[in-house]
Amino acid sequence: MTAIAEDDRPSSLWRDAWKRLRRNRLAVIGLFIIAILVIVAAFGPWMSPYDFLSQNLDARNQPPSGLHWLGTDDLGRDVLSRLIYGARTAFLVAVGVTVAAVLIGVVLGAIAGFYGGAFDRFVMWFTDMTMSVPQLLLVVVINASLKQPISLWMEARYMETLNPIWRNSAIIDFVLVFGSMALITWPPYARLVRAQVLSVRGRPYVTAARALGLTNRIILMRYVLPNAMGPLIVAVSAGLGTAMVLESAFSFLGVGVTPPTPSWGNMISDGLRVWTNYPHLLLAPAAVLAVVTVAFNFLGDGLNDALNPKGQK
Amino acid sequence: MTALLDIRGLTIDIARDGGPARVVDGIDLAIQQGESVGIVGESGCGKSLTMLSLVGLLPNRIRATGGSAMFGGRDLLKLGPKELRKVRGSEIGFIFQDPMTSLNPVIRVGDQIAEALIWQKGLAKEAAQARAVELLELVGIPGPAERARAWPHELSGGMRQRVMIAMGLAGHPRLLIADEPTTALDVTIQAQIVDLVRELKDKMQMAVVWITHDLALIAGLADRIAVLYAGTVVEDAPVSAIFERPTHPYTRGLLASLPTLAGAAMERLPSIGGTPPEPGRRPPGCPFAPRCAHAVAACAEAVPRLAPVPGSDPRHRVACPVMTERAAA
Ligand SMILES: Nc1ncnc2c1ncn2[C@@H]1O[C@H](COP(=O)(O)OP(=O)(O)OP(=O)(O)O)[C@@H](O)[C@H]1O
Ligand SMILES: [Mg+2]
Repeated sequence: MTAIAEDDRPSSLWRDAWKRLRRNRLAVIGLFIIAILVIVAAFGPWMSPYDFLSQNLDARNQPPSGLHWLGTDDLGRDVLSRLIYGARTAFLVAVGVTVAAVLIGVVLGAIAGFYGGAFDRFVMWFTDMTMSVPQLLLVVVINASLKQPISLWMEARYMETLNPIWRNSAIIDFVLVFGSMALITWPPYARLVRAQVLSVRGRPYVTAARALGLTNRIILMRYVLPNAMGPLIVAVSAGLGTAMVLESAFSFLGVGVTPPTPSWGNMISDGLRVWTNYPHLLLAPAAVLAVVTVAFNFLGDGLNDALNPKGQK
Repeated sequence: MTALLDIRGLTIDIARDGGPARVVDGIDLAIQQGESVGIVGESGCGKSLTMLSLVGLLPNRIRATGGSAMFGGRDLLKLGPKELRKVRGSEIGFIFQDPMTSLNPVIRVGDQIAEALIWQKGLAKEAAQARAVELLELVGIPGPAERARAWPHELSGGMRQRVMIAMGLAGHPRLLIADEPTTALDVTIQAQIVDLVRELKDKMQMAVVWITHDLALIAGLADRIAVLYAGTVVEDAPVSAIFERPTHPYTRGLLASLPTLAGAAMERLPSIGGTPPEPGRRPPGCPFAPRCAHAVAACAEAVPRLAPVPGSDPRHRVACPVMTERAAA
């Protein structure tokens, strides 16, 4: 953070950071894995050898073979295909949750840090509250209390419009998963942005902008926020990985994306039940999740080092 | 003629845990239309806070608690935040000390000036950008059209200070306050900036307040000099009178510490011993008395007020009864 404070040079800062990032082998590996994930998530349906739903009850729980590279599960579904579709879920959830959480965090943190006063105290209190409640409990409560009303509301929309989209339960699923996960993951972003805004708002160019008679809103949007974003990029990179793990954890516990939508989390949870007999059903999704999470952390660490060359973490 | 800016009895307090500490203690200062006034004094004597208080830019926990500052028929100290915002930039322009950090690193310099014009004056984007280039030319930046597209870090310190000046002038203020604008620059660049401001002052018919530690630097720019000590004006006089007849012992100390041009060695005379009082710990009576070689018992009793210096320029005033008496004798 201090490096950004001292070296207020945007284009060279980003250029130098990119150079440093490229020299960091782990970060490049992370970036490479993430790129593969993005491609798989985008083009999965064209890449997967089988449909993720098609069952073949004659070929259940098969070990890896030439036909099914990663074997099949207890319903005879191709594990590789499910993993590929699961990449879509993982990616969607990670991006959706992180975007929502970052939006909440940036808005609350920026306003709190910039204007201070009672709103600041309220936001900080609210952040502490949210962080002090066990995450899982919060998600279960939000899920349980929202599922019913949202389903009813969507059913009502369907009756009104007869548009089948309102009957698509996957939407409820995603809204609930995104919503509840965003509602528990925003506090660190809010804290980070608030701290950055507090430090940036005291810089001379902010005083100079005030002396020009610019309004608070413009100063916040044009002078403070753009200069406060560096550390957020690092946090977002790591946060994407965390969101994936979180989704898996919640799927595992039955409050994530509902089957049959493939999610690495519910594959792990299914695999865990039979792992003594069919270890590949656990190992394949667990390994993929681990690799991707580690990739996000490599990239996050790399970004951190690249943006803070003086190296204080 | 009524003054452009008339500050009377301004007091500024810092809120501290043990109660408020006074940093500016009854400043009287008037700036005439088109006049340029230098403000000198040791670090921490309240120069910056005095100027910031005029436009509502005091830091947190620091407040103007008394006095008045009449400007264009209203008391700036009584204006609300919205009105003060309109005064900033369009009526009173500022230039700050550190050109390296006073520009937003993520906006091109031309756009930074243009944005000020868009928000202050409601100019359209193209008009504002054209005006920004004109302003860059006005402050002597070569190739202004190309420079407008430069990022702040691509310019040297002197160039950046010129950009800051262009921004300060964008709203065509009647008063430009320059808070040590050359302290961070090389000596040769300092002189260029001083010349530039002098030229612009005449061209734009504005008054200039120039805060500095460097008496010699502003001798060529200022019509008048006000010497501040511990949050009060101790001497206020036309430049010539300050240099020819410095009267307050503190002013004399400042002048004596200037490098002597005639002497072979440019030595600095250790003329004033001791340090100024901490805010909130000022002695009763004259704040300079504890460091003053001419202090008498009476100095510790009453705070001296500014009074004309007998036999000098009629605008020459000093807050030292001892020296005033001597001048009269
Ligand atoms: N943000 C602040 N918080 C607390 N005290 C402050 C703050 N800014 C200034 N002060 C105190 O107020 C006093 C006057 O400060 P001011 O900045 O006006 O001095 P100055 O004359 O401009 O000095 P310099 O020549 O160093 O710029 C100083 O003693 C300083 O310690
Ligand atoms: Mg100052």
